[in-house]
Amino acid sequence: MAISRRQFLKRGGLATAGTLLGPGLFGHGLRRAHAALEDNDRYFVVIFLDGGNDGLNTVIPADDIAGLRTAYNAVRDNINITPAELTNSLIGFDPISGTQLGIHPGFNVPGGFFENGAGAGGLKALYDLGKVAVVQGCGYPEYSLSHEEARVIWQTGVPLVASGGTGWIGRHLAAQYAGNQIPAVNIDDSVVGEFRQTGTSVLAVRDLERFDFPFDDDYSDDDAAKTAAFGLLNQSAVTGAQPAALFIGNTGIATYDATAAYQSLSGLYDTDRGAYAQLYSDVGRSLANDLREVARVIYGVEQGVPNVNARFFQLSNGGYDTHSDQGGAQENGQHFSLHAELGAALKVFYDDLASMPGNVANRVCVLVWSEFSRRIPQNENGTDHGSQGPMFVIGGGVQGGVYGNHPNIEESALDDEGNTVYTQDANDFRSTDFRDVYGTVLKHWVNLPVGPGPGTVQGILPLDSTVEAVSDPAHYWRSADFDLGFLP
Amino acid sequence: MADGTALTLAHARHLLRRTGFGASQAEAQEFLADHPTRGDAANALLAFKPAGFKAGGRDFDAIHDKWIKYMLKAKAPLQEKLVLFWHDHFATGISKVFDARMMANQNKLFRLNCRGNFKALVKAVNKDPAMMEYLDTPRNHAEIPNENYARELLELFTLGVKDSAGQDNYLQEDVAQIARAFSGWTYDKAAYLRDYDHDFSDDWSDRGLPVGSPTPPGNKRVFVVKGGFGGGGRDFAVNGEGEAEIDAVIDIVFEHADSQGENTVARRTARRLIEYFAHPDPSLSFIDQVVSASSFDVAFDLTPLLHAIFVHDDFYLTAGPPVGAATRKSVRWPVDYVVGSLRLLKMKPKGKYQYIDGGSYNRVVDQLSNMGQLVFDPPSVFGWDWETSWVSSATMLARYSFARDLIAARGGGSSSFRPEKLVDLGLTDPSAIVTAATDTLGMTGDLTAGEAATLVAYLTDNGANPSLDLNDYDTRNRKLHGLFALLMQMPAYQLQ
Repeated sequence: MAISRRQFLKRGGLATAGTLLGPGLFGHGLRRAHAALEDNDRYFVVIFLDGGNDGLNTVIPADDIAGLRTAYNAVRDNINITPAELTNSLIGFDPISGTQLGIHPGFNVPGGFFENGAGAGGLKALYDLGKVAVVQGCGYPEYSLSHEEARVIWQTGVPLVASGGTGWIGRHLAAQYAGNQIPAVNIDDSVVGEFRQTGTSVLAVRDLERFDFPFDDDYSDDDAAKTAAFGLLNQSAVTGAQPAALFIGNTGIATYDATAAYQSLSGLYDTDRGAYAQLYSDVGRSLANDLREVARVIYGVEQGVPNVNARFFQLSNGGYDTHSDQGGAQENGQHFSLHAELGAALKVFYDDLASMPGNVANRVCVLVWSEFSRRIPQNENGTDHGSQGPMFVIGGGVQGGVYGNHPNIEESALDDEGNTVYTQDANDFRSTDFRDVYGTVLKHWVNLPVGPGPGTVQGILPLDSTVEAVSDPAHYWRSADFDLGFLP
Repeated sequence: MADGTALTLAHARHLLRRTGFGASQAEAQEFLADHPTRGDAANALLAFKPAGFKAGGRDFDAIHDKWIKYMLKAKAPLQEKLVLFWHDHFATGISKVFDARMMANQNKLFRLNCRGNFKALVKAVNKDPAMMEYLDTPRNHAEIPNENYARELLELFTLGVKDSAGQDNYLQEDVAQIARAFSGWTYDKAAYLRDYDHDFSDDWSDRGLPVGSPTPPGNKRVFVVKGGFGGGGRDFAVNGEGEAEIDAVIDIVFEHADSQGENTVARRTARRLIEYFAHPDPSLSFIDQVVSASSFDVAFDLTPLLHAIFVHDDFYLTAGPPVGAATRKSVRWPVDYVVGSLRLLKMKPKGKYQYIDGGSYNRVVDQLSNMGQLVFDPPSVFGWDWETSWVSSATMLARYSFARDLIAARGGGSSSFRPEKLVDLGLTDPSAIVTAATDTLGMTGDLTAGEAATLVAYLTDNGANPSLDLNDYDTRNRKLHGLFALLMQMPAYQLQ
């Protein structure tokens, strides 16, 4: 009879290497009995654009029907994207003003930009397939211009509380999954803010191929004894209750378990899906490589690899803090390159998923965010920190199009700092609260009840009800809209 | 909190671990014999003469490996620990600066000022070319300001966004005003780097710096609302424009008072040093007592502040084993883990490429990258995230691999793991062997009885072989090597 390693650790007895390393290490946790991604066989991927992506040069007014183009030209000089440069990357219309919008030309990746034409067409191609929701003007009250503070706000989903705390997805994971499951994987060195919580195990992986436990190869006959001792030493830290030791002990146990299950995924994927594996390499940037790791795990789940059950993923891409040398529509510009990379990587990822058995692309939803947008008036050749910006939601199940209003960029409408103003007033420029975007995902994709109460959308995303300034409710998020429309 | 308090052996080990890269039981005993009180010990640790940095190369690998070598060889490891602290505090990365020589010069700046005057250090950082590049000072113009440096100066280098009571320390308009003072500054790169290869002994700090067209005249006013300067705030162009003006900004920032009327820079700097050297979440009284004892809020001299921290009772709160929910042990930094282990095991990375001679044969720089810490290339201007942010499945695997690589280094010579130089091979009793290994790694007293029993069970294969012959090649290589790997992989060794 096979004995699970966890049971073995608790008993502290003898076992052979075979039973120690065998399957069934951590797959028997008790699932809590309410809605979850598993129930619809879905996946959710979060991509963080680290540094503050310039929203105004991401979704750009292409005509002047409502004066937005004139306002744009007044604030963007040597990084201006002209209407002519937007010709091949036009998307829909701003819902209320009717302005024709374009996405940065970098999103329509030219065929020769990456090796072998990988990812050509980029995000624009996916938009034309109806798989991209562009959600404009996403922000929150009392915006912060600090990278860290703003990032924490987006990751926790709680703007008006000082800092720290659990991540918005982490709160869902803690309510939904038992402590010995690994429902979430992030491609990074450390557990990311969205996933932070105390209950479940999140796997931080940089490279699945090298995700194996390091034994002394010269004395592999001692591996089982080392494994047993290693497990007991981590277990000791967990029972000792010192917070840092407990964290390290839990991580050690989960890491050992995961090495047994996850290291096979890379070989499996590369064997079965070599052509796609190559396309990510052709894009050749870290984001593409990281998305391939996500694809490898998803493929492993789809193929029923034992003990690989992850449904939530997070990865990030850096370089968006374009205080200088931002560039305009030129292919050698910094912002162009960033958008080309994101668009091409997503295109390859989508095509990869769409061609997996079972049309996986229809069951994967990708959310793209950044901690803030950038200053409306540019500086010498870049942009300083700003307030609201666009988000993207991408996937086969997404209802593509433009959602939310373009922020009002008239100079007279900007605040003293030169940033657009957050408002929930029902005027032409009403902002999209980023929590409504999260809430729409939680309600329509993760299938959580609206609530209130623990484990519901409202439980995860509290309204700004504690704010004193009731005199001006338009400045705060006091009424949720979890039906923004981009997910059915 | 007294200089005269007698140091204990456990406290000596803690002090050497926190201010350096760890000490074996024998080294701690020797240190204690020479420095019987906390005051003696603090004086001795702080007595080093700050020395510069000879990079010996012009690319990232060269300066990275050179700094690691400095740490491995350091006779005054506290200097290296302090330079690492300032590198994290004034985080600057080669991934944006692009020039290893400028990074090396900044490292030298931190070395020479590492325990000097904090206000002077901030003024020097204002004009450090690596920092200027990293936070866009040359791209900050009067007509088109770039706020990058001004914001981080307040948020990260001096005040912090919020004070100890959770109140904002400054407003966006303060950032904008300070950005105006720094507009127009740049540096002459050719002049600055002219003598890079051979002129490290003299004071290079003024060469070529700063130049350009200083900010146009005009008054600037800051801290009208925050900082305790009253309704008029403070004007900082009154001493003149130009270099005097950016120095005046720092003078004013250092007078900033938090919402409780205490000096904001003093409290925040003391807090960060305590978090780095002692433990996370220090009490406000610990912070205020060391500031007051050292007059840091008046003079901003770092040596007295560090001394006050190293003799304070709270510094020693975490000297014991990691037991109980209330204790606040710190997680060792990757650099500390790597350098400390190599020093304690008396091993050197091998060859020009500084690799570990066993297991994966990875270079030290790659091992550290996998653990999440590349010096000279922090992830952002925030530096590294500390404490449990160091810990994840990816980074722990990197630590486990490094430990394995060390004990699998069997190629011979000083790059090899040679336990015969650390442990008496005549020992046969498994408990005595565990004790000898923990003494070597500076972990004396850090293991619970259960953990020690686990390791004895490992050595004896659960009692099957109750006595070990370490002189037998295979027994030694299998079990003694394995014991050291397990010790370096276990949670207790990740803590300090």
